[in-house]
Amino acid sequence: MYRNITIPFLLLCSVLFCQETYNIKIKVIDKYSSLPVSEAHVTIGNQQAVTNSEGDFYFDNIKAQKHRLTITHVGYQTYTTEIIIPTSVADFIYLEPKESLLDEVVISGDNDKKLLQKKSLSTLQVEKEFLEENRENSLMQTLKKIPGVSAISIGSGQSKPVIRGLGFNRVVVVENGIKHEAQQWATDHGLEIDQYNVEQIEITKGAASLLYGSDAIAGVIAITPGKLPAKNTLTGEAHLTTRSNNDLIGASVGIKKRYTNWYYKARLSHQNYGDYRVPTDKIYYENYVFDLHKNYLRNTAGFNYDISSSIGYISDNFHTETTFSNVYAKNGFFANAHGLEVRTSRIDYDASNRDIDLPYHKVNHFKVINNSKITLPNHTLTIDAGYQNNHREEHSEAVPHGYMPTPESSQERLFVKNTYSLNVQDQTYAISGHKIKTGINLEYQNNTIGGWGFLIPEYNRFTAGLFLYDQYEIHKNLYVEGGLRYDYGIVNTKPYYEWFDSPVTDSNGVVTQQRLQRASDENLKFGSYSASLGISYLQKKTSYKLNIGKSFRIPLASELASDGVNYHMYRYEEGSINLKSENSYQIDGEINFSSKNLDILINPFVNYFDNYIYLNPIPEYYETLQRYKYTQSEVFRYGSELMITYKVNTNFSVSGALEYVKSKQLSGSKKNFTIPFSPPLSAIFSAKYNIKSQSFFRDTQLFADLRMTAKQNDIVPPERPTDGYSLLHLGAQTQIPLISEKHPLKIQCKLNNIFDNKVYDHTSFYRLIQVPEPGRNISISITQKF
Amino acid sequence: MKKIASILTITIFLGSFISCSSDNDETDTEKPTISVNYNEGFPKSCTVLKKGSQYTIRVKTSDNVALASYAIDIHHNFDHHTHDDQGSQCVLGAIKTPETPMIFMESYPINGDTQQFEIKQTIAIPDHIDSGDYHCQISVIDATGWQSRTSIDIKIE
Repeated sequence: MYRNITIPFLLLCSVLFCQETYNIKIKVIDKYSSLPVSEAHVTIGNQQAVTNSEGDFYFDNIKAQKHRLTITHVGYQTYTTEIIIPTSVADFIYLEPKESLLDEVVISGDNDKKLLQKKSLSTLQVEKEFLEENRENSLMQTLKKIPGVSAISIGSGQSKPVIRGLGFNRVVVVENGIKHEAQQWATDHGLEIDQYNVEQIEITKGAASLLYGSDAIAGVIAITPGKLPAKNTLTGEAHLTTRSNNDLIGASVGIKKRYTNWYYKARLSHQNYGDYRVPTDKIYYENYVFDLHKNYLRNTAGFNYDISSSIGYISDNFHTETTFSNVYAKNGFFANAHGLEVRTSRIDYDASNRDIDLPYHKVNHFKVINNSKITLPNHTLTIDAGYQNNHREEHSEAVPHGYMPTPESSQERLFVKNTYSLNVQDQTYAISGHKIKTGINLEYQNNTIGGWGFLIPEYNRFTAGLFLYDQYEIHKNLYVEGGLRYDYGIVNTKPYYEWFDSPVTDSNGVVTQQRLQRASDENLKFGSYSASLGISYLQKKTSYKLNIGKSFRIPLASELASDGVNYHMYRYEEGSINLKSENSYQIDGEINFSSKNLDILINPFVNYFDNYIYLNPIPEYYETLQRYKYTQSEVFRYGSELMITYKVNTNFSVSGALEYVKSKQLSGSKKNFTIPFSPPLSAIFSAKYNIKSQSFFRDTQLFADLRMTAKQNDIVPPERPTDGYSLLHLGAQTQIPLISEKHPLKIQCKLNNIFDNKVYDHTSFYRLIQVPEPGRNISISITQKF
Repeated sequence: MKKIASILTITIFLGSFISCSSDNDETDTEKPTISVNYNEGFPKSCTVLKKGSQYTIRVKTSDNVALASYAIDIHHNFDHHTHDDQGSQCVLGAIKTPETPMIFMESYPINGDTQQFEIKQTIAIPDHIDSGDYHCQISVIDATGWQSRTSIDIKIE
């Protein structure tokens, strides 16, 4: 048996006749999966350590004598043994997972390994298998199947996340530890992330501001780095996909190479799609009728090119990875109504369903992120640093509006945003029973604008946050966690003057032509506390969680200083410079029952905002466009998600999921109304059947999903009620050992909306102009690993 | 099974909480109405307005709660960028570059607790403006913030 003893050190000690001490290294492994167990807490005598991502832990200077070794981990049974240094120490220690799967619960109805971690806030872990099986046009559309998660979509390729009815900046998307920063405030574009490059996602529903920064009022979608490949291996996968509804073709190739310490990863992805088809040939919007050519939603084609590469180094107590990624996407907007304004054009949109004419948008998002982790005795230090450049352009046919003459170019808006982030976090295990995290987050943003349409000003924004968080094990099945955070932010808006003259009448009735000022130089400061306290009680089959938290959000530059025509919405949007920070108070609960065949999960929540910020349509005009003003009001919300999974037998399982959220404004001019984009009550029923491996077809699965959504009558101007609907999706997948026995070719076929039902999604951007959801779609994808 | 029973009880309890708490505080979810489709309604689709003349725009509006304000927007359609919602197709003139097009953008409050209101707004068509196709959009907002619009293709000669 090999023992990792530092011989020179030993010799030196012997020479000096001091008491012999040893360095030891042991690997902790899951008994069943044989995978390394990271983040396990190890104690030898009064020394403590935590296993790294390889499952290894190290102790320096352990005296040669008998010690008690204890390894604890939330998901595993506590391991205790006597060791005698240097004679009886194992190289590997196997941990037995807890029977009730305390750390991670597999929701097996979909067999999709949605895993739940037992923190006092409800956290879901979404694995690659789930993403592959439910893959839609964009990442957020893929995640829509998860109860409590929905998406605000525009067209077929763009969507942004919503958790329990809250979206935009209230949901933080974190990629490799760094907050994704784009133009999150806008409704008309999506998330700039390559969905093929995502291996694992952790979704936290509820106020997660404590660890992720003050914006995470509604929750966090954290894209975490995938598993490291084994030493001296080269793995990869190639993926091809096609969809019939929008004639999409997609391809993605990824490789991972690891030497002993060094490794690299690379991925290239491309998607190219045409206009999507809707189950109608006429769209009725206000008094207008738009005829659709062959059911194509005119000019909604698009494409994206994504590239990502990372290089990393891992050693016993140091792990660093640097990732470069670039996402470039371009897609058209529905041509008949650019947003709400009805347009006619001389462009022959119907000539091809694949061309991208005006109006369109394009975005390029570049990121460099470094993640480093240093494992010290009793401490783990994590440093995440990032730079992001988001360049977004919107183009439309130049049309005069009001006093603005016809602009010279098609570039209506340009936003260039640079974001620099630094997060430093220390996790310590020095105090027995406690897992204490302290950290600091710094972020600087610089946003510049261009184009002939003015909506939000240029600005600089600096935020700094400091937090302390502790998880304390009172008893082996009772945990308390709590934390405190303070954030400070400065928003500096830049002045803006229009590029054309408008007539201005002064108090004497004299009319002069002036360049109107739309934004002024303002320096605004914000600061506030966030706090959270939670308890989890774990029993053999049931677990209970309760968490109470206060979080807050610094108003965005768009909310503070917008002042212009939003041509997409054909309205006049105005910020309010005196907005206060948005405060949210929330109680989250969770009850989980899990047995061999049955899993039940209930996540109720209650939430109160004393000053929720939203864009309120007021009964006034600015140059004949309705004014929408950012306003604050008291909001009360509650709701719940419910998931039940029943394994009928080893091959057949069924599951049901329900989500409900109700919001009500308690004050202001929209008292008793809901808040914008409130998702309706909806349920998903799924069934999955595994067919035993035949000679050629392996792991064949058949699956069906029925999504039922209730009517949404709970609206706020300018929304319209949306009828309920049900949609049926069917799918099958199998694996064929065509090229390799070890890595069979995976083939998946899916049929969405099989009855070609005409339905409206209440939270889709195009819902406002009465555009239904896409019609029937067949998608086929193949994946070959090597 | 005891556990399942208790979970189900909690579910039912939560369910009843949700259904009981549906509010009785009614909200106004109706948009106002707006129409020029009556005998005196003006302008109708394809109407030709003369430079130097005065016209009275007449549009009927109504709302279930209260009307708050209305707006009239007249802008050129020399580039054929939009069309009206009256269902008729006016013959448009050739596409041309504007020189001194007429721009009329005004909004007016509707005071009091008015549920029925006829817009009667006199406007003067100036002499020295470009002739051609114009677009007249009339919109109304109720006290809640719901807006309705109607737009009409006209000509000025």
